Amino acid sequence: MSHPKTPHVVDARYMEPPEPFVRTMEMLDTLKPGERMLLILFREPHPLYKVLRQNGYAYESELRPDGTFEILIGR
Amino acid sequence: MQALLSFDKAPPFAAPLRFFLTAPLFALAASLVLVAVGPDMLASRWTPALLAATHLITVGFMLQVMLGALIQILPVVAGANLARPLTVARWLHGGLSAGGALLATGFLAGRHGLLGGGAVMLALAVGGFLIAAIRALTGVPSTSPTIRGLKLSLAGLAGAVALGCVLALALANGWSVPLVVLTDLHAGWALGGWAGVLLAAMAYVVVPMFQLTPGYPARPSWGFPVVVVGLLLTWSVAVAIGSEVIGRVAQVAAAVTGIAFAALTLRLQSQRRRARPDATYRSWQFAVACAIIGLIMWSTATVFPVLAEVPGWSTALGVLIIAGGFVSFIVGMLYKIVPFLAWLHLQNLGGGGVAAPPMNRILSDTEMRHQVWAHFVAVGALFAACWQPGWLARPAGVSAAVASAWLFFNLARAFSRYRRHAASILVPVSSP
Repeated sequence: MSHPKTPHVVDARYMEPPEPFVRTMEMLDTLKPGERMLLILFREPHPLYKVLRQNGYAYESELRPDGTFEILIGR
Repeated sequence: MQALLSFDKAPPFAAPLRFFLTAPLFALAASLVLVAVGPDMLASRWTPALLAATHLITVGFMLQVMLGALIQILPVVAGANLARPLTVARWLHGGLSAGGALLATGFLAGRHGLLGGGAVMLALAVGGFLIAAIRALTGVPSTSPTIRGLKLSLAGLAGAVALGCVLALALANGWSVPLVVLTDLHAGWALGGWAGVLLAAMAYVVVPMFQLTPGYPARPSWGFPVVVVGLLLTWSVAVAIGSEVIGRVAQVAAAVTGIAFAALTLRLQSQRRRARPDATYRSWQFAVACAIIGLIMWSTATVFPVLAEVPGWSTALGVLIIAGGFVSFIVGMLYKIVPFLAWLHLQNLGGGGVAAPPMNRILSDTEMRHQVWAHFVAVGALFAACWQPGWLARPAGVSAAVASAWLFFNLARAFSRYRRHAASILVPVSSP
């Protein structure tokens, strides 16, 4: 799946925990320097945010009108 | 990955569990009050035994689980960490349990000293929690409807407890206050401003997460908590200036807002991608259906006050909203939280070396489903008993007692299995 913001996307809207977390961490491992990934969810993943901060990642979150959170993650 | 999955600041399992195991005992006590007092208890919403049972459920069961769960959930849904969660949990649990028991005994025995003492103890316990929660949330921006809802629900809790305290102290000291009007307002803040707004804030996260439904659309999600609290403020101002019409309009609008939220939840549930309905799904569907009927009854009686005088009307709508709506939602939530926390703590205990057992080995869906059905039967019996108390009050009390004791048994069983697994993990880890 691709997205205008980045080709690296984890659409976790219909996944059960902890799969969104696991899939996000797996994709982050595959990113090359300068690349960013997009996580799509129906909630803000605060435990993931904490892990991202601890590991030096930055993220931006945007709530879409349909209730989807788009979280753009990169270094 | 294992290290990343462990929430290093997650409070120990004992922090929320003490609340979850105590709560069903309060529900059991409320049921036993009905068994002991019998049909007279349901003669009106003002009987001392019904006031006692109502607070055993709302404070002893609902508030107990909601605050216990918040201590655990605040970091997950809001990224806010309570300072010293175990200390907060110990004091809060003690204050809620003792305060709830004193308050109910005060109502039941007509002992005004106990009533006032219970209310003050509850105010101190909840006040302490509010200070800890506000400190944790200070500086946390409202980036999602959940965080905004959470913050507003704390304001609702403060309003409910303040009004409850005034009422209890007025009864204890013989102050002259408009008891009926203030009691309605107290119930509005407690069930709408606190429990309703908190439930919505949690539903935005847990309904899509656990039932694999679409998300709640952004605009109504942002709006619902603000509208409910705004209408409660309007109702409060109406009481202060003595305008009955404005008060009634605000109540009907609040009920309609609640119905709209419940209907939206039903629509999302109908679009779920999880094929097999589990105990939590059944419980939440039942909760939504009861809430809708209860809110329709409330708004109808607000427009046509003569309905509130019909024997059984007010008590039946209370049963639907409290036992059918909130308690069912909480039971469904407990059946997700407790096995998940047990699994999470076992996973952390194993440290990557020993895998935690799957959640259905902590508590199986069959075990949960049977108890949930017992709860549905109890709600049906309680609803029917409001109209036919003469021959249904005591059987309904027995039915509710069975459902409450069963809930305690299920949660205690989950904890005992957790301890057994924890012991089997620790033995090989600690042996040389």
